[in-house]
Order: sequence, then structure tokens, then C-alpha cells
Amino acid sequence: MKRSEFMHVLRESCCEPAAADRVRQTWPAWMPRLAFGDAQRGDILVVVFLRGAADALNIIVPHGEAVYYAQRPTLAIARPDDTGAKAADRVVDLDGFFGFHPALRPLLPAWEQGQLAPIHACGAPDESRSHFKAMELMERGVEDPAGPASGWINRHLASLDTGNPSPLRAVGLGEAAQRSLQGAIPVTALRSISEFHLAGDRRIEQLMQAGLSSLYRGDDPLGRLGRETLRILDTLERLHPDSYRPREAAVYPNTEFGLGLLQIAMLVKAEVGLEVAAVDLGGWDTHFAQGANEGHMAGLLADLGQGLAALHADLADFHSRLSVVVMTEFGRRVQENASLGTDHGHGSLMLLLGGNVVGSKIHGRWPGLESDQLFGPGDLAVTTDYRDVLREVCGLRLNNPALSQVFPNYRPRQSGFVRRG
Amino acid sequence: MSLSRREFLRLAGLVAGGLTASACSPLYRGLSGMPATLAGWPPVSGWDFQILSRLTYGPSEQDRLDINSLGWKSWIEMQLTPESIEDQAVAWRLRSLESIGSDPDVLADWDKEVLIDELQQAALLRRVYSHRQLYERMVEFWTDHFNISVWKGDCWFLKAIDDREVIRQHALGDFRDLLWASAHSPAMLVYLDNQVNESAAPNENYARELMELHSLGVDGGYSQSDVMELARCLTGWTVKQHFWQGQFTFDPDLHDPDPKLVLGRRVEPAGQWEAESVLEELALHPSTARHVATKLLRRFVSETPPAQLIEDTAQTFLATHGSIRAVLDRLLLDVLPEWGAKVKRPNDFIVGGMRTLAADTDGARPVQDYLRQMGQPAFEWPTPDGPPDRSDYWISNLMPRWRFALALAQNQIPGTTLDLDGLASAAGGDPLRRMAELLLGLQLDPKLSSGLQQAIGQVDEQTRLQLSLAGLLASPGFQWH
Repeated sequence: MKRSEFMHVLRESCCEPAAADRVRQTWPAWMPRLAFGDAQRGDILVVVFLRGAADALNIIVPHGEAVYYAQRPTLAIARPDDTGAKAADRVVDLDGFFGFHPALRPLLPAWEQGQLAPIHACGAPDESRSHFKAMELMERGVEDPAGPASGWINRHLASLDTGNPSPLRAVGLGEAAQRSLQGAIPVTALRSISEFHLAGDRRIEQLMQAGLSSLYRGDDPLGRLGRETLRILDTLERLHPDSYRPREAAVYPNTEFGLGLLQIAMLVKAEVGLEVAAVDLGGWDTHFAQGANEGHMAGLLADLGQGLAALHADLADFHSRLSVVVMTEFGRRVQENASLGTDHGHGSLMLLLGGNVVGSKIHGRWPGLESDQLFGPGDLAVTTDYRDVLREVCGLRLNNPALSQVFPNYRPRQSGFVRRG
Repeated sequence: MSLSRREFLRLAGLVAGGLTASACSPLYRGLSGMPATLAGWPPVSGWDFQILSRLTYGPSEQDRLDINSLGWKSWIEMQLTPESIEDQAVAWRLRSLESIGSDPDVLADWDKEVLIDELQQAALLRRVYSHRQLYERMVEFWTDHFNISVWKGDCWFLKAIDDREVIRQHALGDFRDLLWASAHSPAMLVYLDNQVNESAAPNENYARELMELHSLGVDGGYSQSDVMELARCLTGWTVKQHFWQGQFTFDPDLHDPDPKLVLGRRVEPAGQWEAESVLEELALHPSTARHVATKLLRRFVSETPPAQLIEDTAQTFLATHGSIRAVLDRLLLDVLPEWGAKVKRPNDFIVGGMRTLAADTDGARPVQDYLRQMGQPAFEWPTPDGPPDRSDYWISNLMPRWRFALALAQNQIPGTTLDLDGLASAAGGDPLRRMAELLLGLQLDPKLSSGLQQAIGQVDEQTRLQLSLAGLLASPGFQWH
């Protein structure tokens, strides 16, 4: 089955009325209610990585900057008060200087509830402007390539014993686990919950499962992963993803990203012991035909905005212990190029979403866009290191005291992005 | 001791000639559509099995015959001279794929999904059935190195041309020609946005990846300014539209006429030649030699190659002016003994299972969907770095591998079948022992073997064979090569 067909089937089954009626009786049918509860444990962390270097200036738009409009004749989003543009095409003002790209309008409720905190001019010290080097370093949470080879999330899991025996403690949505998740603690990639089983005759499946248990006994990474996979199989067998029904207000986009977020919400509500989930949204390398209110980037932002808003609405009962982090490897050049796109830049942004973020406020010192304020060949400068944000989330929201193991050799400079719970 | 090229070619010719005469040869069976049997499958030494596992997509009966009669060094020499190896069987398998050999203007009129399916089908069939296994592995290597996703713009039909005229044409040739052909390839220019690179405000995408990924490497000694200057040299490198659709062209009107400064060298105004002169420099740059050497060593030898090996291999690259064949010759014959274990990528795993068990496959959607579930459908990797060559990346998800193992062993993949009767007679009453030799090249650890026997329990003959096959394919041992 093609991916799109598969998602279609999943979507249809989610929204099928008969299934919905069933769900309304007593316990939701898909929910196994396994008890992996732990009072000491911190928030459920969801990390969204925008791959390809997302253009921060067209996500949280600095509409108060004249230079922004001068440098982006075709890509700029019209000022909130620009009556020359259709109302739906103007920046959605947030604080008189910054505003949302119109496609992020679905996130307004979260902003108004104080549950959304953008950090502007945020990024890493790396100046290579290479996607692959920048992602590698950022997902490892290091500045020096010779630093620890593991991902920062894996080091968080390794340094904090939450007494959580669940094989679904950390999950990477997709075909392979994200770089940030890789390391000594076995972590499983989950492309789709409904595909996570052996297919075939029930008796043969059971014999195969028994055979696999006998084969995956080794104390090597593969042996450990095999045993984890069998335990996940066991856990997920009691989940019925086809009858999962999100809360009414939560409308996930019918995309791979939307499906990923929907599955995260399903795991959260099923209380199967999920502590961390990582999910990607790719396609942000907009050198060509980036578009303003229409086109490639607007489509990605709609996916992002609708997806995050749906997750936020779906997990309304979990806001007090939910932290969502949105990040990207670097930002894009202030000046647009001749092919209606933008080239690799430096500073970008992060978004925090959840019940304990210091919201309704744009964080980070704004460095300005005048030529003497720019970095390198004409890029937004970095005034907040991404590790300041992650480190605070890890410490205050995930209750991890071993921050020097998660972000070795790093002295934090900024704080105040989230509150202690 | 290795044979001289001349001696070897003579020998290879004799081997190939001898085979066509026999009615039992795989070639004959392939041409007649008769399923292969494994009754005659010859055992190979542990060392030879490792060589075959790393350098082929899984040892076929023919590979076993060849390495036994030639010895491993001559077998590698033969594989490095693919033109000496007859390959009618794969031609027969590909005969119905009409896109192979068609021009871009013809392909542009195809249905997009049909053409992408056919491209992926051809790649899979070649990997499973070609006798030129090392050549096919190098085709995959360069396909990854010069990655292009068919989902970007017109790449869905331009990649068919790139595959034929860039990658397959130069896979064992000179790196300089390969880099040159890739830079002039419409698919690459579209994929990395150079077709819209014009002097008014250059697009840096291709210029950067050309240095970072295709030649010098990210730490190869170029700067942001070099990226911007090379992008200026590349202004006007674009693709023809309409009637001449899909052909390279240089548009002087879009080209920046001023001098540039690339890698410390002043590039005088010379139109198309400006970027071409930089290509010449990049192709044989010491950083390029190290970058390509490192990637080849990681693919074929070890994921953490020692610095001295990288240096030696890079020296061979420079000394032979970037002869891919010469570099491989040295790397495989002198250096292979130093190799370290690697996890099979999804493609190695799926093709390996089918090839080793002599499956009959059409390479179409149903089997391709397993590759997709594992994250490695051909020509679809979105970013220009290509699918990773790191074991830790590929072992975070075992479930789709287990699903494939069970489906293949039970003949539940439409269009792909195992000759279970043939395998049963090859297994001779002890499927686990014989199939372990076949798939793993050695016996399962007795503890694992008895554990698996016990898990399978009392079942009929056919089920026992199928569960043994599925278990072995899904086992930790088969995930490595």
C-alpha cells in the first residue's frame, strides 16, 4: 500500500461513525490502560524537528522591521495593517512587532492561553551552513564534533532513572529513530502503530514470535532492540489504533506529520509509559519558489500549525505535563534570491508549546536586520543558544538533575522559557 | 597473489563461455523462466562467504560457483571488469520495462507514478539478478553519493536519464568524468535548484552541495565565500524546456559576467568554462580524494576506517587520477581483511534474502512496499546526503524486517515466490542446519538453534521449513554483513 493510501485508510477508520459510537461507551476500546505510572516523572516531551533549515523570518514575522520588507520584495508577508493586502494574507500580529505567518493561525488559541512561547534569533554556534553537519551537532547537543556520539535525548534517558520499565519510554516516529534518540538506551522507531505486528495466520504469528524470543537473547545492541521490539509488540497488541478517536476539537492534517502526531497522542492517552517522542517535518530547504502566502512554505506551515494545534487540543487533559519543542538546524538568509527563495543563513527560532511554558511572549533578544546587525553574508544573528532552551526544559520540566551529562561542557546563558511545575 | 588483468580476462572469458553451454546453468534457467533449484548449491568457505556478503547483494548459486573456481581475489578482479561478465539473465528480466533506453522528451509524457515504479523495479531486478554484482553495488554507492529524489520537480523523469548516463555510465570509470557528468545532468540541476540560478541574486544550493557532499567534504577547506563565488560561476547552468525538454544548456544571459574568486584562484570571465574549470580542480583535489576514500571504506570495509587507511586510499585516488576501478582494486584486494561488521541496510536485507534463496520476483509494488516501510525505497531519499551508511541508523526498527521475513518464507508477497519444494529438497530433512549454511554461511549457535527448534515445535514439514527460513532471515545474524 502506498503511504498516502495507508494514511487515507487510517483516517477513514478514525472518523468512521460506528467506531465513534463504540468509543463513547465506558473505556475507549483502543485503550489498554497499562499502569506504567510514576509520580516523580516529569513532562512528556515531544520534539518536532523541521528538517532543511526553516525560514524563521517567515514563521514569526518581524513586521516591525522595515528592512524585512526591503530585502524580501516577493516573499515578505504583508504588515497586519497593510490594507493593500487581503486580510487573510497579512501577518497575524502578536505583540506589535512580531506576528504569525497567516498559516499559523490555528496556533492562536494556544498563544492566547499562554501555552506557546516562540524563541526568536535562536540557534547553534556552528557556522558551516551545512544541513548535515548542523543537524548532526544539534541532535547530539554538542558544539565539538569530537564530543559524545550519542543524541541529547538518549543521554537524558540514560542519566535519569524514572523507574519506567516501558519499552515505549522513547519513540521515534518514522522509519528510523532520529539522531537525537540514538545511543546506549535502545529506542524504537515506529512508523505506524497499526503496522507494528507480524502479518499472517495467527498460529504462525505466535510460533514466529516464540522463535524470535529464542533468537534475540544476546546482550548486544541488536539483541536488546529485538527484546524491546517483542515487548512493544506485546503492548501495542492491546491497542486498537483503527478505533482511536481524537477529541472533537482536534483535527489533525491528513499528512504524514499529522498521522505521526495523532499516534503520539494515542500513546500518551493510552498511558503506555511514553516519556519522549521525536517526529520530523521535512522540506524546509526553500532555495527555490518558497512562496509567501501560497506555495511550498505556506503548505508546510499549514501542516505544522494545524498539526501542533490538533495535538494541543487532543491532549487537553495532559497540558500540565506536556512539553512540545519545535526546532530546526539553522535559519535562512534575510535577502531573498532571484529564484524566489532563500539560501542558507544562521539564526532561526524555536517554539515551545505546553502548560508550563512562559507563554504569550516572544523570547530572545532581537538582534535586528540592519546590515551592521547581520551575521556573515547577511544572516540573522544568534542571540540564544538552542541548548539554553533544551537544558531548561530538561531540568525544570523533565526533572533531570544531571544536565552536565546531557549537555557536556556547556554553560547556560539564558533562562526563563519554562516554569518549574 | 592476484592475476594480471590479461590473464584474468582470459580466465573470465573461459568461465563465462563454459557456463552458457550447460543446460543446467542459471542463465539457461533464467532465459527459460524455469525456477532455479538449490540442489546443486555449493558450499563456500567462511571467508569467501563474507566476501560475497559484502560485495554482492547476497551469494547466489552462480556467485558460489565462481568464487570456488576462481578464488576470492580473481573473483574480485572479475567483478571489477563487469563488461567481461555475461548478463543475459538480467536483460531477460528487464525486457518489459520500456522506459530503459527512452529519451527524456518521450519519458516526460509518461504517467509519473508508472515511471517511478518502473525505475524502482529496474533497480531492484538488477540488484537481484545481475551477475555484475560489484558493479551494481557501485551503482548504488554513487546513486547515494549523488542523491536525487524523484519527487523534486521534473526529477521523476530526469532521474531515469541521470541513472543511465551519469551513474551507470561511470560507476567504475573515472571520478572526474562522473562528477562532470553529474554537474551537467539536468536531474541534478533541477534537484539542487541550479536551473534557476541567475546572476541577479544567485541560488547557492547546488554550489554548496557540490563542494560539501559531492567533492571536498564538509571539512574539505572551502568557505561560505567559496560557495557564493562558485554559485556565481554556475549562474546560467540550466535545463532546456519545451521541444528540447530535459537537456542541459548554458544560458549566457543569466550568467554573471564578472571575475570570481574560488578556492583562492581568480576565475576569469569564460562563461560555461568557469564552473567547468572549478569542476576539474574539485575532481582531483586532495580533500575530494579523502572524502571519496572515506565513503568507499565505510561502505565496503569498516564504518570507522583507520586514518592511515583513508590516507592510503586517497593516495591511490590521486595517483591514478581518480580511477574508481583502481581505487577499488587496491581497497578490496589489500584492505578487505581489515573489515568490520556492518548492519545490512534495508535494501541489502531485502535483496539479500531474495537473491540468496533464489526467489523469483517481478520487483513490483508489493515487494517495493517493504523497502518503503523500512525507509529505503530507491530514488526517494529527500535530502542530498543520500540514505545514511551507518549501522546505528538502520537498527532502530526491526518489525518491518520481521514482517518481510515471514511474508517471504510463506510466499505471501504477490509477484515474489520462493521455490519451497526446491528448498525442501536442498534442505534434505534438516532445514534449520542447511538453511543456516545458506543464509548465514555458518551454523547457528547450538543454543540458538535448539531454542528455535523448540519454539517452532511439532509442525508439518512445510511449516517447519517456512518458519526456519523466516526465523533465520529475521535473526540477528542475518542483519549483519
